[in-house]
This record gives sequence, C-alpha cells and structure tokens, in this order.
Amino acid sequence: MGMLDQLLHGFSIALTPQNLLFVLIGVLAGTVIGILPGLGPMSAIALMIPIAYGMEPTSAIIMLAGVYYGAIFGGSTSSILLNAPGVAGTVATSFDGYPMALRGRAGKALAIAAISSFVGGTIGVVGLMAIAPGLASFAVSFGPTEYFALMVLGLTAVVSLGGNNLVKGLISAVVGVMTALVGIDSQTAIVRYTFDLPELYEGVEFLIVALGVFALAEVLVMLNRRGQGGARKGVTSLRLSGRELGRIAPPTLRSSVLGFFTGVLPGAGATVASFLSYSMEKKIARDGDTFGQGNPKGVAAPEAANNAAAVGSFVPLMTLGVPGSGTTAILLGALLVLGVTPGPTMLADNPDMFWGVVASMYVGSVVLLVLNLPLIPVFAKVLNTPRAVLVPLVVVFCVVGVYGLSFSVFDLGLLAAFGAVGFLMRRNGFPAAPLILGLILGGLMETNMRRALQISGGDWGVFASEPISAGLLAVALLSLLPALVRAVRGLRRGRVGPSSPEAATDAGAVPDGGSEDQAPTPRG
Amino acid sequence: MSDRTTTPNEAAAETVRSRPRRPWRPRAGVTPEQAFRFSPRTMGTAVGLFAIGYLVLAFQMPDYTAVSVPVQPSTLPRWLGVVLLVLAVLLFFQRAPVDEAAAADSTSTDGTSTDADPAQDAARLGRLADPRLEIGLFVGALVAYVALFEPLGFVLATALYLGSMTWYLGYRRHLVTATVALSLPFALYAAMTWGLGVVLPSGPLPF
Repeated sequence: MGMLDQLLHGFSIALTPQNLLFVLIGVLAGTVIGILPGLGPMSAIALMIPIAYGMEPTSAIIMLAGVYYGAIFGGSTSSILLNAPGVAGTVATSFDGYPMALRGRAGKALAIAAISSFVGGTIGVVGLMAIAPGLASFAVSFGPTEYFALMVLGLTAVVSLGGNNLVKGLISAVVGVMTALVGIDSQTAIVRYTFDLPELYEGVEFLIVALGVFALAEVLVMLNRRGQGGARKGVTSLRLSGRELGRIAPPTLRSSVLGFFTGVLPGAGATVASFLSYSMEKKIARDGDTFGQGNPKGVAAPEAANNAAAVGSFVPLMTLGVPGSGTTAILLGALLVLGVTPGPTMLADNPDMFWGVVASMYVGSVVLLVLNLPLIPVFAKVLNTPRAVLVPLVVVFCVVGVYGLSFSVFDLGLLAAFGAVGFLMRRNGFPAAPLILGLILGGLMETNMRRALQISGGDWGVFASEPISAGLLAVALLSLLPALVRAVRGLRRGRVGPSSPEAATDAGAVPDGGSEDQAPTPRG
Repeated sequence: MSDRTTTPNEAAAETVRSRPRRPWRPRAGVTPEQAFRFSPRTMGTAVGLFAIGYLVLAFQMPDYTAVSVPVQPSTLPRWLGVVLLVLAVLLFFQRAPVDEAAAADSTSTDGTSTDADPAQDAARLGRLADPRLEIGLFVGALVAYVALFEPLGFVLATALYLGSMTWYLGYRRHLVTATVALSLPFALYAAMTWGLGVVLPSGPLPF
C-alpha cells in the first residue's frame, strides 16, 4: 500500500508540465541521436549532460533517463534499417530486423521493435519498483567469482549466434577476446599487443570495432554486390495483425523478465540481456531455424530484453550507487555533478527523486510509443536513399562517430582495418556477432577471473565450490552441450562423404547473411 | 577494360533513367559471388599463421614479478593462442563444397531476380569490371579520406570524399550530389563543433 502511495506521489512529480516537457525532450533527442549509426546511449547522455547542468536534479535525471531509452530505441531503428547498430545492445536486433527490412517488412519490424520496447520498458519499471531493494541486496553479494561465471554464461551465447559453422563462430569469438586484451593490463600495468603504439595503450574502443565490422563491412558487401541483390522494397504497412501480435507476445514477455534480471546484475546490462534472450527464444521457438532470416520473434525478444535491462540497470545505480553499465556510469557521473549521491540512503533521504524517476519511466515509455509509432515512416525514409548516395554517407557517419569519440586519426585507420576484416569475414561465412560479444565480455571475464583467483589464492576450485558460480557455470555447460554434439556429428558426416547431399542442403541457406540457421532440417 | 565508354555523355542524355539496363556480366572472370571467397585451406592457414604470431608474442610477454599474482598477464593470451591454433587446424580440414554451393545458388537467383526488379536505384555501383579492384579502390579512397582528414580539415575532406564517391558510384543527379556534398559536411561540422562541443579539425578554413 505504501508503495502505491509513493508511486502516486512520484506521478505527481513526473506529470508536472515542466518534467513532462523534459521527458519529451529527452526521449526525442535520444531517439534522434541514437538513430545515427555510431552514436549510442553513452554518447547521447554525455552530449546532453551540458544541457542538464544547472537544471534541478530531479528534472535533470528524468530527462537523462529519457535520453537513455530514447537512444536505445533509436539504435534499434538504425539496426533494422541500415544493419548499422551503433550500440552493442541493439546488435541482436539487427540479426532479424535487417533481413525483415530487406524483405520489405521494415515497417512491421519497426512497429514490433516499438511495441516490444514499450512492453519491456514497462515490465522493467514494475520490476524496478517491486523488487529493487530485495534484489539489490542479493546482487551486492556477488563477488568476482560469480561475475566470472556470469561472463562465461554470456559467452556461450556465441554458440547460438555462430551460424551453421561452429568453428568459424568460435574463431570469431576468440579473436574478439584477443582484441579486448590489447592495451595496458589494468592489474599489472604490463602492455599487451600494443606494438609500441601509444594509441593502443588504452585498448581498442568498442565503437570502432562495431562500426567497422558491421556498418563499414555492410557498405563493402553492398559494393561487392554492385548494389544488386537484396533489393529493398519500401516500407509496407506498420500494422500488425492480431495473429502477429499473438506470436510475438510470449517471447516479448519472457524476454522482458529475463532482460530485467540481467540488467540488474552489474556488468551484464542490455547487451548481454539481448543476446541471452535472442538465443533463448531461438532455442524455445518451434520455428527457431528461421531466426536470422527475418523472424519477428527475433526482433521482439532482444528489443524487449534490452529495454527491460536498461531499466533494470537503474536498480544498482539508484539503490547501491553502483553503476551497472557504461551508460549508468555516465549517469552516475552526471548525478554527482548535479550534487546528488545515489546510494542505499537515497530511498529514505530523497524519495522524491527515486519515485519521480520511476514514475517518469512509465511516462517515458508511453511517450516513446506515442512519439515513435507515427514517426516510423519518417525514419524509414532512410531506405529510399539511393545506394550511391547512401554508401559514402554511411562512411562519413562512421568517421564522425569514431573521431568524435577519440579525436584520433589513428582510430580512423583502425576503423578502416576492422571494416576490411569484417568484409572478409562476411564473404567467407564468419559471423561478426561472436567477435563483438568476445570483445565486450572478454576483458570483464579476465579481470573477474584474476580477481577471484587473487582472493582464493590461486585455487581454481573456487569457481565450482561457490554455489552461485557453480550453478551459473553448470547452466553454461548445459547450453553448450547440444551444439557440441551436433558439431562433432557434422564433422564425422563431412569426413565420410565430402560431397554428400546434406552438404548441399547445408549450404543452400544464405550467401553472406549475418547468421544462418544451425539445423538444416525442414520445419515441423 | 570497360564496357561503359558512354559514361561522360550520360549526364547530358535525357533518357538515361528510362533506358533498360543490361544485367551486369563480368568480363574478368570473377563474379561478385566469387570475389574474396577463400577455400578452408587458405583460411585455415591464414588463421593458423595469425595464431602462431600471437603465441610468439604471448611467450615473449614479461611476467609480473613485483607481487606474486596467481594469473600472469600472459596466461590468457597463451591459452587463446592455443585455442585459435586448434580451431585453425579444424578449419583447415573442413570440406569446401559448402561455399561453392552457396555461390552457385546465389548466382543462379541473381541473374533472374535482378532483371525482374529494375528499381530506379538498382543501377549497379561503381565502374570497374572486376569487383576486387572496385573494393580495393573504395578502401583506397577511404584511406585517402582519413589521411586528408586533419590536413584539409573535416569540411573540405568530407565534401571532396562525398562528392567524388557519389559521382563515381554512378549517381547521376549531379546537382543533388553537389548540394549534398557541399551542405552536409558544413551542417555536420556546425552541429558537432558549435552545437555539441565536439571539435572537428577545421583545416585551412577560417572557422
């Protein structure tokens, strides 16, 4: 009961005309910035901090929160229309969203993204409100051992992302982890794989790799095809039939819950949530083999998950003062600038802010839906740009995104190099998603592994003896098992008959699509 | 060399856009489907060489001796190198027909589908017969753009890049090209530098 009163009080704060305006500005600005490939929630919030400075703290964080989920939605728009996810959290959306756009169903894909984002965000807020205190006290008991297990679990998503060639998927993931290790080792200050180039001491920025292997590689593939193939038809109707809504409802609900809990755990966040939910739905769905070819469920699941996780990441931020992701870290910085220190005492000392933000998230979700559904045809106009104009433009946006981040021409060279690597990977059937996953999780995994071993005195048994970590690792192992069995079987079959008819059906799938189906078996 | 000797005159021609386009036929014997595809042998060897190089560097990495640590900075790289080497061997022995079948499949659909759907912007990109040269040229242009980024400044370098690439890739409404190439870099520069405080290189221009 007390909670409902608190929430109503929160609405009375969030619905003042002034704060309503700030939500609107935040969501709109976030969406527009997020659509530009290369500019994600992090850059969007960072860019808006100067504007928030000098505002009243509650209004400021309400606006910045609006920027956050607006940018996530904007990111999915460019994932679907351009296959250029500027944010790691929307990479999984492009796996099915872009194929849908190529088949002339961009309108439906965007509508699904908007609706499932809305559902994910709303469920996330309910979760935030209901279990923030309890769950946060559970997650705070997580040590490096548990985080390591969590990262391992995240990495196993590679298997379901790896397409029909497990070896190529794993190579891609290993190279991703290798890329993550470049730079000064954070624990011992020993430089690794920098080739004495000072530009590499800080490591390789995620954005460079993502823009290179996704956006630039996409442009090169387009050029190699001579702009032919995958002909785009305009955006058809946005309207979803009741049957389509019924199909995406269960994945959306499941992924929202999964996404929220993943988001609550620090370090996991929207990216891991979207990958986890994507691979979960792929396994659950009866038509799981059409994931990656434009299955609406493959759009709904990661979209619901990343929005729920974005909200979920506010739990540790607001109740513990611990940022759960890079984006919430920037938010934390913004709060400190505004003179607010979030933490366990915030709920008691500054309830206006906590409940105001919670209520504004409801409002923000509604604004996002009301604002974005009508504007989808405007966003989709991007598709009508002739290829010859689009190709150089995407290159320029990539260059601006990378240069605006680091002001380094060296990084632009790196961008070109990753573009070329990504292109060669696409041409030869190496999936790019595991590389990104390895890059994001690799560094975190190593850090936590070493911290855990430092605490345990070098005893590797600690990962199996801690109950939570052992449980997470067991789940990771179980999720690997079926794919390994299939891979071993496939290898044997290939040895026996190199030109067996199965080989031909295996290959019939996609010439150079992002992720192919694993099982070539007919549906049913 | 080129089957498009009429290129310079096309701008003047009124009927350019309504002229039916022939499906593109490669002269150099390399179709877009074949370009940049390698056999598992080649790829396995390349990945394997990379893994060996990575391992050599991993074993040259100094150990951290100031304080005893359970995991050295070089531990994970060594394991990663070994795993990559094993994967490279597995890749080396994979069967090749997979790619060929996929290529053949897409070739057969390509020939029919592209002709059936002549959208107004389905004009093929670029001018060279060999897609490999085309890609090389494109990457070269990108490198040139990056190299000129700071000396020429953002506005000039971007205008030059946008204008020349759009023209080269075959967009024929030159007025639109010129407008975009001149206005967009300036708009981006203004938005980034004055709007968001992200300073892009100005080059010789006075602002």
